[in-house]
Amino acid sequence: MTTTAPGPAGTASAGAGPAAPRRLPGLRRAGKAGRARKAKRIDGPQQRGMMRTALLFLLPLLAFYLVFYVFGFVFLARTSLQRTDLSFMDPESVGLENYRLLFTDDRFIRALLNNVVFAAAAVAGALTLGFFLAVVLSTGIRGRKVFYAVFLVPSLMPVALIASVFGGMMESRYGTLNETLRSAHLDFLAGHWLTEPGLAYAVVIGIFVYLVGLPIMYYTADLSALNTSLLEAAVLDGASFPQLLRTMLFPLMRTTHKTVVISILLMSFRAFEIVFFSTKGGPAGGTEISGTYVYNYATSPGPRVGYASAAAVVVLLLALLLSAIQLRFSKKSEE
Amino acid sequence: MAETSDAMRVLTGRKRDRRILQGMLLLMGAIWLFPIYAAIKRSLEGGGTGNYTALFTDPVGDVTIYDTYLNSFIIAALHAAIVVGVGALAGYAFSKLHFRGKEALYYGIVLCLAVPGTAILVPLYYTIREAGLFDNYLGVALPEAALTLPFAVLLLRNFGDNIPDSLIEAARMDRAGHWQVFRTVYLPLCRPALVNLSILCVMWSLQDFLFPSLLFTDEKYTTAAKAVQSFQQYLATSPSDIGKYNASLVLLAVPALLLVVFGLRFITAGLTSGGVKE
Repeated sequence: MTTTAPGPAGTASAGAGPAAPRRLPGLRRAGKAGRARKAKRIDGPQQRGMMRTALLFLLPLLAFYLVFYVFGFVFLARTSLQRTDLSFMDPESVGLENYRLLFTDDRFIRALLNNVVFAAAAVAGALTLGFFLAVVLSTGIRGRKVFYAVFLVPSLMPVALIASVFGGMMESRYGTLNETLRSAHLDFLAGHWLTEPGLAYAVVIGIFVYLVGLPIMYYTADLSALNTSLLEAAVLDGASFPQLLRTMLFPLMRTTHKTVVISILLMSFRAFEIVFFSTKGGPAGGTEISGTYVYNYATSPGPRVGYASAAAVVVLLLALLLSAIQLRFSKKSEE
Repeated sequence: MAETSDAMRVLTGRKRDRRILQGMLLLMGAIWLFPIYAAIKRSLEGGGTGNYTALFTDPVGDVTIYDTYLNSFIIAALHAAIVVGVGALAGYAFSKLHFRGKEALYYGIVLCLAVPGTAILVPLYYTIREAGLFDNYLGVALPEAALTLPFAVLLLRNFGDNIPDSLIEAARMDRAGHWQVFRTVYLPLCRPALVNLSILCVMWSLQDFLFPSLLFTDEKYTTAAKAVQSFQQYLATSPSDIGKYNASLVLLAVPALLLVVFGLRFITAGLTSGGVKE
C-alpha cells in the first residue's frame, strides 16, 4: 500500500465510480472531490492510470456491492420506517414505531438470546469434542479416514436436509429415536422431543453440536502443520495423553480456536434452516432465532414487511459489528 | 486428510490409551451415523425399495427428482461462474495493483462476510422483482454470488498476495497491458485457488434453501434443497407416504454427497486457506 490512512473518503472515491446510482449524490460528490484532491497532490499520470485500471478490474464487484449491499441496506433502513407488505405499494410512514414494537417483543429478544446460547453451545462442543476428535483422528488411529468422513460430511450437506432428518428422527410417536429406545426397553427415556420446551431446546443445541465437522477440519489442518518436536520431548518425559491434550496441544491451537469461534458465531446468524426445519421455532417461539424471526415476518401475509425490516436491520448491525471486531482482531494478530 | 506424523502417533503409544480412544471413537461415530440410519430405515417403511423407484418414475407435485437435480446444478454452475469471474478480476486488483484507499476498500468488502441471507431478504425480494428475475435461474444465482463474493475476495487475495510481484513486473516490462497480464500470468497461477473456489460455490449453492424458496414461485424451478420443504408438503402429510418422504430426503442428499465425495480435497483446501465463512 502506497498511502496511509485513506479513511472513508478513500473508500468513496474508489467505490463511487461510474456505476454509482443517481440516488447517492453525496457519495458521488465526495468521490469527485477526493479524486480532484488526489490529482493535485500526487503523483503524475502513471498513478492515475493505475487508479483507472484498478477501477476497471473492480467494476463488476462494485456493481454487485452497490446493488445488493449498499442499495440493499438503504432500502432496508427505509422500509424499516414504514408499514408495508411484499408488494411495496402505498407504504405508510410510521417513524420508529417498528423499532419500538421490536424491542418490546419478548420473542425477538429471546430469538437474539437464543442465537447467543446456540452459538455458545456450538463453540463449547467444537472446542472440546471437536478438538478432541481432531486430535484422536490425527494420531493415526485405525479407520481414521472413515471417521473423519462420518463427522465432516453432515456439515457439508444442505442444512435443510440434516435438520429435517433430525425433525423426523425426534418425532415422539414414530420417530426412530423413540422407537429404538422403546425396543431397547428404555421407554422412560423416550420423550416428546419437539413439543416439550426444554427438550426442543436441547434438540436444536444437539443439531448445532452435530454440525461440528468444520471445526474438526480446521483443527485437523492445523494439527498436520504442527511442529512436533516439543510433543516428542513431552512424550519421552512420560506425559500422559490427557495431559498432553490439555497442557500442550490445546494452547498450541490458539489461532484455530479463534477461527472456530468466529466461524461459529457468524454461522449462528445464518443457521435459519437448523431451526426452521426441526422445531420451526416452536414450541411457542422457544427455539426461535434471529433468522427464523425475520423470515417468518417477511413472508407472512399482511403489512409486516416494515417490521421484518426493522428486525433485519438490528440483526445486520449485530453481524457487521461482530465482523468488524473480528477483522480488527486478525489485523492486530498479523502485526 | 493429511498424513499422520510420527510424533502424533507417539501420542497414543500406550496400548491401553489406544484401546480407550478407539472405543470412544466408535461410540461417537455410531451417534453421528444414527440420523442417517434413521432416515434410511424410515425411507423403507411402507413400500420398501419401491419408495425409491417410485420417486424416479412419478413426479412429486410438478417436478421429478431429476428436475430438482438439474435445477440445482444449473444454479450452482451459474453461481460458480459469476463468483469466479468477478472474484478473479477483483482479486487481481487487490493483490497486484496499487491504488489509493485499497486497504479500506478491501476491509469494507470483507466486512460483508458476516451478512446473513435472512437479513437482506426484503431488499433482495424487491431488487429481483424489479429486475424481472423472478422464476429465473439468474435471479437466484446473482444473490447467492453477492453473498459469496466477500469470501471469494478474501480467498483470492490471500492466494494472490503470495504470487511473486516479480512475475507480474516481468510481464509488464515486456509491455504487456494489465488485461494481458491478468489473462496470461495471473489466471493460470491462480488456477488452484479458482478450482477450490468454484467447488465451494457449487457446494454452497446446493446447500441454499433460502433464496430458491423465496425467489421461485413456479414449482418447476424447485431445487434439491428447496424440495426438502415442497416434498414434505406433498408427502409428509399422509402417514402412508412417510416412507416415500424419507426416501426423497435420502435421494435429495445425493448431489451434495457426490460433490463432497469427489471434491473433498478442494473443499478442505479452499476453506482452510480462505479462513472463515460458515
